Amino acid sequence: MTQPPDPIISVRNVGVSFAKNRRRKRSLRDLLFKGSLGPGTNAPGEFWPFRNVSFDISPGESIGVVGRNGAGKSTMLRLIAGVLIPDEGEVSVHAGVAPLIALTGGFEGELSGRENVRYVSGLHGMSEEEIDDAFPEIVEFSEIGDFLDTPFKHYSSGMKVRLAFSVVSRLSEPILLVDEVLAVGDKAFKAKCLKRIDSLLEGGTTLFMVSHGEGALKRYCDRGLYLDGTGLAFDGPIEEAIDKYERDLGMVAQPGQNDDFALDSLADV
Amino acid sequence: MTSVGVRTRPGGFSTTSGAIPTTQRIRRVWDYRRILTLLVHRDLKVRYAGSALGYLWSVLDPLLMALVFWFIFTQIFHRHVGYPPYILFLVMGQMIMAWFQQGVTSTAKALRSEAQMVRSSSVPRELWVVRVALSKGVEYVYSLPVVALFAIAYRKPPTIYIVFLPLAMLLCFGLVMSIGLALSVLSVLVRDIDRLIPIVLRFLFYCSPVLYSIQDVPKNLRGFAAYNPLAGFLTLSRASFFPQELYWRSVIVAIVWIVVLFSAGVWVFTRFESQVLKEI
Repeated sequence: MTQPPDPIISVRNVGVSFAKNRRRKRSLRDLLFKGSLGPGTNAPGEFWPFRNVSFDISPGESIGVVGRNGAGKSTMLRLIAGVLIPDEGEVSVHAGVAPLIALTGGFEGELSGRENVRYVSGLHGMSEEEIDDAFPEIVEFSEIGDFLDTPFKHYSSGMKVRLAFSVVSRLSEPILLVDEVLAVGDKAFKAKCLKRIDSLLEGGTTLFMVSHGEGALKRYCDRGLYLDGTGLAFDGPIEEAIDKYERDLGMVAQPGQNDDFALDSLADV
Repeated sequence: MTSVGVRTRPGGFSTTSGAIPTTQRIRRVWDYRRILTLLVHRDLKVRYAGSALGYLWSVLDPLLMALVFWFIFTQIFHRHVGYPPYILFLVMGQMIMAWFQQGVTSTAKALRSEAQMVRSSSVPRELWVVRVALSKGVEYVYSLPVVALFAIAYRKPPTIYIVFLPLAMLLCFGLVMSIGLALSVLSVLVRDIDRLIPIVLRFLFYCSPVLYSIQDVPKNLRGFAAYNPLAGFLTLSRASFFPQELYWRSVIVAIVWIVVLFSAGVWVFTRFESQVLKEI
């Protein structure tokens, strides 16, 4: 691939380790008597979904990440969202990120939808003026209607996600991160979500997407990264990445796999 | 690249395996100050959502405790500690102590209670801790009118030392934030921290000059009592009404404690941050 000079995302020799068989939490006794909790202490018990991964992403590219469960797709996404710190290497993101992950994060049940929209947009970096500008559009997109002044906790789960999606997708950040959470709302709203992403992409937004769903990947992405559980096995056109991934899966691949559900169902709309 | 001036937060970031120097961490929190303000603002809105009742809740606990202690120590025992009016003496101590206690309890949960946000937003994680310490501080300020009510009722005018009240608040904030930085990450990794906190806090409550004045501590233990990190903000805030309470030694000791605890807090936070992000 030809690389224009200034990448918007740059990943250099990155690796992340996780503790194998880790219990949910340690006790104080472990901390005191088993020494440090730091990374690298129980080397035999750790595993690296990927190591030494490097790639650059130019503004406007749309990237899809493929790989099996546990190959580190979401980990990669979280590194780029800045919510995970690499154990090796460096991740540089040179622009604001709109994370379509953990969507309803930052929403406060006690406050009304209206207040939440303002606060969450602010938390994601919008200024007062930008919020004033975007507010009507966010509300309209969410189809919340009369419930705008109802406390958020009384919303149905569908309404919550709809409002959250409307806010995050309206952040007008140069980078959009999409995890497999996109299957939100009813069929009609899903279609709207897809359209929104389309229009963001047309506007030059850089997309970084994680999915098992072939449909969504092919629809949105032009470049694919394939994580095979040890590192970056392929970086190139999305079709080839998917092919390679499926070839590696070999016989194991089944069309109706659970994981495919989320975005495939979306892509059908 | 977006500039800090236009938006409420910087546009990009860079993360590496290496530790971030403390000065850079502080600057990062400063860069995000508008979001910090927003968070504190939101906390207060939630807290006082039911308007008058919300306010009542935030002062009810320290107030009720003060009344209980006033009853025990003036009506049942015959008080010979503190200064009259004892109820004002108590309320003044209780209110700032409530900030400390609630601050430590909730900074310990700061990351977990915002787990969704921590998982999705690149906002510096320290912000969640600082935000809680600040919110509790604002609640303290809001509780001061109650103190004023007691002062008026007992016709006890403030002394000139009321000018040191902001310093007392700074000491309390510094302690809560420093301790909170360490606890916020440790409580994610270690399961029994949560159980330990109320026990230690109760212990500290009785060891600290809240019910009594530091001057009431027997001479041979006074030096020891002055090394209590909490004595600084307690004595200094109470000097607003009780000039006898002014005890600079405990203030200086508190400042030293804050420097030490802040360094330790930042160290712990830095050390375990990346691990916490994997587990939260």
